[in-house]
Amino acid sequence: MKRIGVFICHCGINIAGTVDVKRVAEEVAKLDSVVYAQDYIYMCSDPGQALVREKIRQEKLDGIIIAACSPSLHESTFRTAAEEAGLNPWQCEIANIREQCSWVHTDRKKATEKAIRIVSTMVEKTRLNESLEPIPVSITKKALVIGGGIAGIQAALDIADSGHKVILVEKESSIGGHMAQLSETFPTLDCSQCILTPKMVAAGKHRNIQLMTYSEVEEVSGYVGNFNVRIRRKAPFVDWSTCTGCGLCMEKCPAKVPSEFDRGLSTHGAIYIPFPQAVPNKPVIDRESCIYFKTGKCRLCEKTCEIGAIKFDQEDQIIEEEIGAIITATGYETLPVTELQEYGAGEVPDVIDGLAFERLLSASGPTSGEVRRPSDGRVPKEVVFVQCAGSRDPERYRPYCSKICCMYTTKHALLYKHRVHDGQPYIFYIDIRTGGKGYEEFYHNAEQDEGIIYLRGKVAKIFRDGDKTIVWGTDTLTGRNVEIQADLVVLATAVVPRESTAELVKKLRIQTGPNGFLSEAHPKLRPVESINSGFFIAGVAQGPRDIPETVAQASGAACKVISLFSRDHLEQDPAIAWVDEELCGGCRICISVCPYDAREYDEEKCIARVNEALCEGCGSCVAACACGATQQRNLSDSQIKSMVTASLGGE
Amino acid sequence: MAKVAYYPGCALKERSSHLDTSARDSAVRLGFELDELPTWTCCGAVPPVSEERVMNLVAPSRILKDVRDSGRDVLITICDFCYNTLKRTNYSIRTNEITRKRINAFLADDEPERDYIEKKDAYWVDYTGEVRVVHLMEYLRDEIGYGNIREKLKRPLSGLKIAPYYGCVMLRPQNEIQLDEPENPSIIEDFIDSLGAETIRYPYRTECCGSYLSVSSPDASTRLCYRILTSAQQHGADAMVISCPLCFYNLDSRQKAIAEAYPDFKPIPVFYFTQLLSVALGVDEGRQGFERHFVDVAPVLDMILQGSGKGDRT
Amino acid sequence: MFEPRIVCFLCTWCTSAGADLAGTSRLQYRPNGVNIKFMCSSRVDPEHVLWAFREGADGVLIGGCHPGDCHYQDGNYRTQARVSLLYRLLDDFGIDRARLRLEWISAAEGTKFAAVMNEFTEELRSLGPIKLAAREMAK
Repeated sequence: MKRIGVFICHCGINIAGTVDVKRVAEEVAKLDSVVYAQDYIYMCSDPGQALVREKIRQEKLDGIIIAACSPSLHESTFRTAAEEAGLNPWQCEIANIREQCSWVHTDRKKATEKAIRIVSTMVEKTRLNESLEPIPVSITKKALVIGGGIAGIQAALDIADSGHKVILVEKESSIGGHMAQLSETFPTLDCSQCILTPKMVAAGKHRNIQLMTYSEVEEVSGYVGNFNVRIRRKAPFVDWSTCTGCGLCMEKCPAKVPSEFDRGLSTHGAIYIPFPQAVPNKPVIDRESCIYFKTGKCRLCEKTCEIGAIKFDQEDQIIEEEIGAIITATGYETLPVTELQEYGAGEVPDVIDGLAFERLLSASGPTSGEVRRPSDGRVPKEVVFVQCAGSRDPERYRPYCSKICCMYTTKHALLYKHRVHDGQPYIFYIDIRTGGKGYEEFYHNAEQDEGIIYLRGKVAKIFRDGDKTIVWGTDTLTGRNVEIQADLVVLATAVVPRESTAELVKKLRIQTGPNGFLSEAHPKLRPVESINSGFFIAGVAQGPRDIPETVAQASGAACKVISLFSRDHLEQDPAIAWVDEELCGGCRICISVCPYDAREYDEEKCIARVNEALCEGCGSCVAACACGATQQRNLSDSQIKSMVTASLGGE
Repeated sequence: MAKVAYYPGCALKERSSHLDTSARDSAVRLGFELDELPTWTCCGAVPPVSEERVMNLVAPSRILKDVRDSGRDVLITICDFCYNTLKRTNYSIRTNEITRKRINAFLADDEPERDYIEKKDAYWVDYTGEVRVVHLMEYLRDEIGYGNIREKLKRPLSGLKIAPYYGCVMLRPQNEIQLDEPENPSIIEDFIDSLGAETIRYPYRTECCGSYLSVSSPDASTRLCYRILTSAQQHGADAMVISCPLCFYNLDSRQKAIAEAYPDFKPIPVFYFTQLLSVALGVDEGRQGFERHFVDVAPVLDMILQGSGKGDRT
Repeated sequence: MFEPRIVCFLCTWCTSAGADLAGTSRLQYRPNGVNIKFMCSSRVDPEHVLWAFREGADGVLIGGCHPGDCHYQDGNYRTQARVSLLYRLLDDFGIDRARLRLEWISAAEGTKFAAVMNEFTEELRSLGPIKLAAREMAK
């Protein structure tokens, strides 16, 4: 008979406030095999873990249960503690009596009863647990970074600098992301291009970085250390290996396409590079707008190109790569102005979003840095900035704070004032949030010395009247309604995850939260990891954040990848399927259900086997096995049955 | 001819009965009949401004239950307030179990006293929000179709510039009403378009006319109505079209007070949407009760009649 | 009041994580279920469900990832196929189909997990305690 010890955590009052932990200990102590049961205020603390170790030795325990928080938090903590005391880690189980009991119930009696049943269930499991050894698997020391914005670039550079190979995949034809669109960055007002371009060039030139722009991840299979990735390289219809980037073709192209990079404030040809500092500096042909692709006539670019780099017959390529770890840094979009019905729904020409205003401010932008409004090119004298346009609005738009807008709007107003001295900027805000180094000072200076009028309140409506754009809002500090006859309105639209991120997470099988941003493994302690091992996250794809935070997080994610790659092999959970050869009839149902090709048929013995390196331990084949020959280690059918019985309070 | 259950509401039964007439006339021209409920009460008209959570839902629930019990699943109303009240009541019943139970307890309680239901053997069935409350404007959009209206026009309103006015209760709150985008709607514009007239875009189309402030502080309502009407005029409107009897009262009758308070104000005719529909479909203009309007509609009416001749005498 | 006993077989990636989220969000729901965590809902053998009923469970909940979101590619589709066949077997045993629920609850759907537990408990309350002929005879 096994000697099982049960340790019940109070978690301060988090558990003990609702669950009578003393009673749980008393009741559990009566169960078969349980030789020791004790409660303690903080089991995860040093003294708590010491208690566990001490009792394992003293009571000669060969199985322990920690009744505490979710196993996703401290299972590894306690398994390590068990191992230190000489107990096999797979003999340590967690009974989740916090997230799934004390936090969700208020009736003390019922919660205590439930906690007893939860612990009894885990006692039953532990009674039949075997001691296991982790399965060593090899590791491919090559990383994939998805997204070529500042987060992806930083992560790729850090990993590459440590000596490992990186593939940097970017959907657009150039890396750079949104940061390349920005004019100057808060709070130091250094030029965004000037600090980003060197990094872009470094990423493009690094011998350990393979840049795959104009490419998208098609499919990911495998597991940590051993992913198989299929990447689609979209046909640019230009042979990039011979193209010199001279740009003649772009000058000749007769098509006019609104520039996405300039937020529609300028146009480029159907053959184009998104911006002059692009890396790689090679053009692509936009099939949708190309006159030749639409009508079968033109080919002007082909005639212009002396080296013959234009290739209309180019096709998409599929590239397969073996990868050890994946960083997702797919960034963000902003809520389209067309969705903001009360702010003109995109029909008022002089209502633009923050990124468009960045382009107006940018020296390399469509107006060469002069602030001119889209409708008639005049310099606007009254500019209204509207914060929280779609953010902090759970009823109509997004419930969360987009975090960067307070700062960038202040920056916008300031830069506008620097360019148009007699102009008047107004900022409508709900609260000004300036958490960050030097941020409050930046705001304070703008508010005190730059003549920006801050109005605390929401804007109710924006519409066009003649050549003016009328803004109706409220100043809640004076309690008055405000009407401003503006020349230009800039909306700080909500930061939202990219639409394509939703597609991508399905391929990667990682999680997103309710607002579509990527979920981290732990909101505080594992902020750059996905819950699925081998997947890391960085940048705004995880939630709104500014550049310094994004860069820090990207380096953090890179560091996690490097630490993974520093090992010779990885350890795989051994709680996988195995076959009782005596029972197996060789029907091969298991082979048909396995999603990983981990089940194979032994022609000689006429039985099915498990390939331990490939088995992920989902248990699908175990449930499918008709004769009970396939079982899952430490989750066998007999374990489950006694767990079920115990969960019902026993018979 | 298809019959659709119809709830006129108090305003259209009494003070504004001419609007009721125009709605019925138009329906017939479009091939359906507004079949007034045999008995009905006031809808209450106050849930939007009431603190009470259940009592004010009893009257509208009773109306809705009667429609359900008569074997029909659609109820048309042409008054924004009735529409708002009935639809929101239905929403509460559909989505809130506690409200549903309490309402049905009230309804069951007063059942025996209602003399017209003499079905002693009828067993009680809880009302669970089965009826769909539909604004006539919505019915025209979704069931009749603008194309159909266009085909049946006898006197297209071509050349007429009309400013739509939505008021506040027709579209809000959006999650409960779901008729159109409340901040940037298009249903009345599309309706005007189907009558062959030109729509005027002006900023005040979804702003409040003052509603019941008309009673407690008429000056506030006067100021609001002045802004709405002058803005429409400045943008070139010949007339206003609305779908709420209270807005109608405010925007039409209040023009007297507006003219006194604002010397620069010029009157502008106000039409109920059913009146314009009815005239455009060829119903005699004499049946529209235009004589009951405060502002003379003759200039606009003349434009319509000159364009297309006299209507049929029905 | 009758307190039904519910066995919940939850997959670790979605539904159990969703149940954890219900906890971190401090949502309150009925304490009638005890969760048994599997790696994937496809580990649930129909026999486990029948065993639960045999052992006196008034209801069984199986929770998996939404279709297309399975961590193991297509495990949840297998679960669904098995459950639909199992329903026919339940008919033969005279067990009301409403006593077995299959729900797709993602890691972001703590609210849904809490709502399902409440709803299921209410439903089982109205069905009353499970009665199995075999058990009655054994007594």
